Amino acid sequence: MRLYIHPLPVRIWHWTNALGFVLMILSGTQIRYVGLIDVVSFRTAVSVHNFVGFVLIANFCLWLTFYITSDRVRAYHSELNLKKHFIGSFRQAYYYAFGIFRGDPNPFTPTIYRKFNPLQSMIYQIIMMLLFPVQIYTGILLWDLKRFSAQVDFFGGVRVIDTVHVLVFIAFVFYILVHVYLGTLGHTRTAHFKAMMTGYEDVDEEAAAE
Amino acid sequence: MEPKLDCNSASRKILPRFIETSFAIAAIAAALILVPVPAFAAEPAPSAADQNCLGCHGTAGMEKKLADGSTLKLHVPADGYAKSVHGPNGCTSCHADVDPAKHPPEKNEIASARSFATSMTQVCRTCHTDKFEQWDTSIHGALARNGNPAAPICTDCHNPHAIIKNAATQVDQVPCKNCHAEIYTAYLGSMHAKSRLGSKDSYAPICSGCHTAHSVKPIAAGAFGQGPEAACFGCHAGVLEAHQKWLPNAELHFEVVSCPACHVPGAQRRVDLMLIDSKGKARGTEQVGVPLFEASTGSDSKGIDAQTLWNVMQTLNRSGIAGKTLLRGRLDVINGPQAHQMADKSKALSDCGTCHRAGSQAFQSVTISLVGPDGRRVGYGANADVLNSAFSVDSVSGFYAIGGTRIKLLDILLVLAILGGGGIAVGHVFLGWMFKRFGLYHPHDGHGHPPAGGGDASKPAA
Repeated sequence: MRLYIHPLPVRIWHWTNALGFVLMILSGTQIRYVGLIDVVSFRTAVSVHNFVGFVLIANFCLWLTFYITSDRVRAYHSELNLKKHFIGSFRQAYYYAFGIFRGDPNPFTPTIYRKFNPLQSMIYQIIMMLLFPVQIYTGILLWDLKRFSAQVDFFGGVRVIDTVHVLVFIAFVFYILVHVYLGTLGHTRTAHFKAMMTGYEDVDEEAAAE
Repeated sequence: MEPKLDCNSASRKILPRFIETSFAIAAIAAALILVPVPAFAAEPAPSAADQNCLGCHGTAGMEKKLADGSTLKLHVPADGYAKSVHGPNGCTSCHADVDPAKHPPEKNEIASARSFATSMTQVCRTCHTDKFEQWDTSIHGALARNGNPAAPICTDCHNPHAIIKNAATQVDQVPCKNCHAEIYTAYLGSMHAKSRLGSKDSYAPICSGCHTAHSVKPIAAGAFGQGPEAACFGCHAGVLEAHQKWLPNAELHFEVVSCPACHVPGAQRRVDLMLIDSKGKARGTEQVGVPLFEASTGSDSKGIDAQTLWNVMQTLNRSGIAGKTLLRGRLDVINGPQAHQMADKSKALSDCGTCHRAGSQAFQSVTISLVGPDGRRVGYGANADVLNSAFSVDSVSGFYAIGGTRIKLLDILLVLAILGGGGIAVGHVFLGWMFKRFGLYHPHDGHGHPPAGGGDASKPAA
């Protein structure tokens, strides 16, 4: 059974975000490691980083606007029943850590309004509601430190802002690697990637009926 | 045929010629009287009273041994004095205490040449009040008040008996070179000196152009824009806008990087971390307590390390000193002579990678400074790791150069993140392969999720 779980705005946002993240990680790495990596000049890397950064901010606004105005926002609704959430998370973690190797079925079957398994739901909420906004904010402060000097000083100085920005960058590097790998764990290696391009995910009918 | 001249005709001819000659002489005389001609100014000469003084003091080599063993030069070159701006004033305008009838005094009351010159500054003050007050609040004045015998007072820079107007505007006449010889030599190699020496119309600065003549302030005491950079901007108007065209965060660079740090390309650089209060005013040694730093720096030539600096900052902010104590960082050249070797702008550093890279020379020398009682900077050596240690996030929160002073711990975390993220993927694939390899993979669902070892789950495991 094919389910249309990735609407067009979400797909546009996702792939723009993916390309933007890669460019931000590469240009950010170049900025931070001049001498170790010299693919482009420091100044070019800064220009690319600034430009792509603002594209990603606009893209984030597109994502936010879509979900605020769409009933698909239910995908991001938190599971308020903590017991249910933790049991679901444990099952999912067990599946990835052990069950998948034995051939166990994936404990989670997506639906149109619940496309994230409990682990995904938790991680995406942390990323989209906390880490991404923090990265946008610290990035804007670092973009023009003089203009935002009052806010920079309020948070303890440029080094504090930069350290937070780099810590989130490190978290994103880790996330991107794991995210891409988990994307290969569909019923085929490319199933999730195709779904994110076409919008349609193949779902087991029996599992969906349950 | 020759004309015949008779007496009458002869007399008629002679009379007009006499009259013509007389008129010509009269006209020349009148012209000499009435038409102004450049006058040759008379050499200024001392007055009769001054001649009386110069009768003795005009003798070359005249001097007096003082009680402390120093020598007071009493010779006043008559020519120089007469030509000086003080010449018309007369000797007694400054030396009013000298009674010619009782001069020289029988008893030598001058303790030393220095004390005499110091007492005479009050005489200078009577006419040059504004200049004296500027000097009094300057670093030179502060040094003099603190009893520094080398601190310049009026007569150290100005010879009162031979002072002429605008002498200090000539590169080779500046009195500053007497004490600041090394800086003066460095300045002579700068594009400012070359411009000034190359053209009499050049407005390139000499010493007083940047430091002012009398209100010379120590660099450390002023907030940004009040030091020598303010003088740079005074001539180089629009320089911020020019930098903003190519330099990201140009205004911030102007705040934390001195002009010579980039415009003296061969200079050694140093980061100076100055202790300031929350309003940006430099902390004085009397507020902070120097022993605290001296105890921390110890005899180790590497200076204070990152953890000790953090401890010191914690102590300072708990010690009851009013307001928060912070460190304001500034990249500068390592010493005064290098600061005066400004090169042509085509040679200025514009490669960001010069500073924004790990191990950059710019961040290998670090000092922590306060302002001493005389307004001068008091610096203490620090280990370069104070700029890239995790402790610096808190202790040196206001100074950071991307890449150049990055925190090593974050580099380690990034490597761990890459190894961790990649390791999870590789390890997961490997485990999947192992489960298949040993026959432990038995798909339960018909639609099949693949084993982590790869391949389609719908296909039976090997």
